[in-house]
Amino acid sequence: MNAQVSPLAVEDLVMAYDEAPVIDGLDLAVERGSFTVIVGPNGCGKSTLLRALARTMRPRAGRVLLDGAPIAGMRGKEVARRVALLPQSPIAPEAITVGDLVARGRYPHQGLLRQWSPDDARAVAAALEATETVELRERLVSSLSGGQRQRVWLAMALAQETEVLLLDEPTTFLDIAHQYEVLSLCSRLHAEGRTLVAVLHDLNQAARYATHLVVMRDGQVVAQGRPAEVITAELVESVFGLPARIVPDPVTATPLVVPAVS
Amino acid sequence: MTPTTAPRASGVTDPRVLTLGPRVAVVVRPRPVVVAITFVAVTLLAGLVTLAVGELGIAVGELPRVLAGEGSRAQEWVLFTSRAPRLGVAALAGASFGVAGAIFQSVTRNPLGSPDVIGLGAGAAAGAAAAALVWPGYVSVPVGALTGAALAITAVYLGTGRGFAAPHRMVVVGIAVGAMSLAFVQLALVRTSRESAQQVAVWLTGSLAARAVEHVVVVGLVLAVLLPCALALTRPLQMAEMGDDLATGVGVPVRATRTLAVVVAVVLTGAAVSVTGPIAFVALTAPQIARRLTRSTGPGMIAAACCGAALLVLADLLAQQLIPGIILPVGVVTAGLGGVYLAFLLVREWKRVAV
Repeated sequence: MNAQVSPLAVEDLVMAYDEAPVIDGLDLAVERGSFTVIVGPNGCGKSTLLRALARTMRPRAGRVLLDGAPIAGMRGKEVARRVALLPQSPIAPEAITVGDLVARGRYPHQGLLRQWSPDDARAVAAALEATETVELRERLVSSLSGGQRQRVWLAMALAQETEVLLLDEPTTFLDIAHQYEVLSLCSRLHAEGRTLVAVLHDLNQAARYATHLVVMRDGQVVAQGRPAEVITAELVESVFGLPARIVPDPVTATPLVVPAVS
Repeated sequence: MTPTTAPRASGVTDPRVLTLGPRVAVVVRPRPVVVAITFVAVTLLAGLVTLAVGELGIAVGELPRVLAGEGSRAQEWVLFTSRAPRLGVAALAGASFGVAGAIFQSVTRNPLGSPDVIGLGAGAAAGAAAAALVWPGYVSVPVGALTGAALAITAVYLGTGRGFAAPHRMVVVGIAVGAMSLAFVQLALVRTSRESAQQVAVWLTGSLAARAVEHVVVVGLVLAVLLPCALALTRPLQMAEMGDDLATGVGVPVRATRTLAVVVAVVLTGAAVSVTGPIAFVALTAPQIARRLTRSTGPGMIAAACCGAALLVLADLLAQQLIPGIILPVGVVTAGLGGVYLAFLLVREWKRVAV
């Protein structure tokens, strides 16, 4: 794969739920091998942008490009072999085991009559390994804690064996320890060579884990780059409307936003 | 055909895979196979009893002789004209209802989302009433039923405001459409002469009396074409049950899958209803019973079909033998049994989450 071409990009993207567009003419190229995190205040269009990248919502205008080619003309399974998505609230079937759920991530590699191959077994085992859920394999998904469940959903997405992984607010609904557990796992998956694109709510978590930060407001990208360069007191004030001071995170030295309100 | 097990990784079990050459590797779970075979056996047994009981019954021992054309005229009439077609329609219509129910419950992600509950049966009944009573002579009752079913599902589609993508709304709107359809049926029955109203009322209960070979052929052909379609849709439907976003993420064309599945279910229901009348609750109960017994995590089409067949054949046997001397319409039996089951389901749903 040509390293120069973005694995996932949008050109002149327009997204709208009704008359008024949420995103009106946005360009973005995800860098190969990056951990890109999209942040912004509620209603800024960050989740909508992810929906466009994940094809769960059709753009009103503009193009989404996968390795430089328009995604619109591609077959669903073909895209799904290159881009995986962890949606915000997937529904676990009643009485499904962890192993069976993760195995469903192999769907894009299977056919009507070719429903299982040794590759599938290997990919599922690897996905369980990577998410440290091997010992949960025979457990029912319904019996897991929130953090375990999120790791299992991640394992399902990993079983797709894609280069790009999209994550829609993967830490929502989790308590704080599990939030960091999931983010550390994402970071590890990124270190193994995958391209990750996540929407996150928490600016400090984004600053800590992202290699590339995309800040959105009113459907536009207002700043992007390395977190240390992007996050300034002026930006936080103007984008989020929050007076803040930026200090180095005592643990990771990444920017830490401290609200300057009392 | 050799059953092989995929290589085991890190000491855990992988699904049983049936391979056939390099291109076919089908996942087979033992439980659904056993359940399906059991239902087929129940259907066959109940069928043999249905043929054998009563004064005109043909004992199991006699059956091969009559089948070979060596029975008496009376026996041949009983078998080929009376009981066998009725049995055939019961089994095939039951299977059709089972598959249609499995599809609808999967699409609506709700055990209540069967064709009975979301107004398909009532729509078919309204169509039949319109064809037979309100504007008689234009179309046949079966065609009216199919049209009614199609109109009802169209009303549900439009009524949700988001097509079939809003499962819970489908159930709510479906109940409304069903209620309106039934109101129309009542109106039609009240306003017409007693004899024709009586006839339609019997049809509306769902009856297998006086079914002929052509009825078997109609339902059988539709099932033969659409069951493979339903099977091909099983895996995409299973993924769609996990949410539209997730299904899209793994490459399932969600809208197309759902639309196709609904069309398959409507035609299956329509074909069966046009022959038997809207037999209540088989489509609701069969897939649920099958799903419980198979412990499957998706719509099991084959198990639902076999369960539907067994249920309807058993119900028809009951309908014929429950009260000596009186043959009930089978719909009365399924409604009686299914009503209890529906109440059970509703209570369970209310306890879990509001519809």
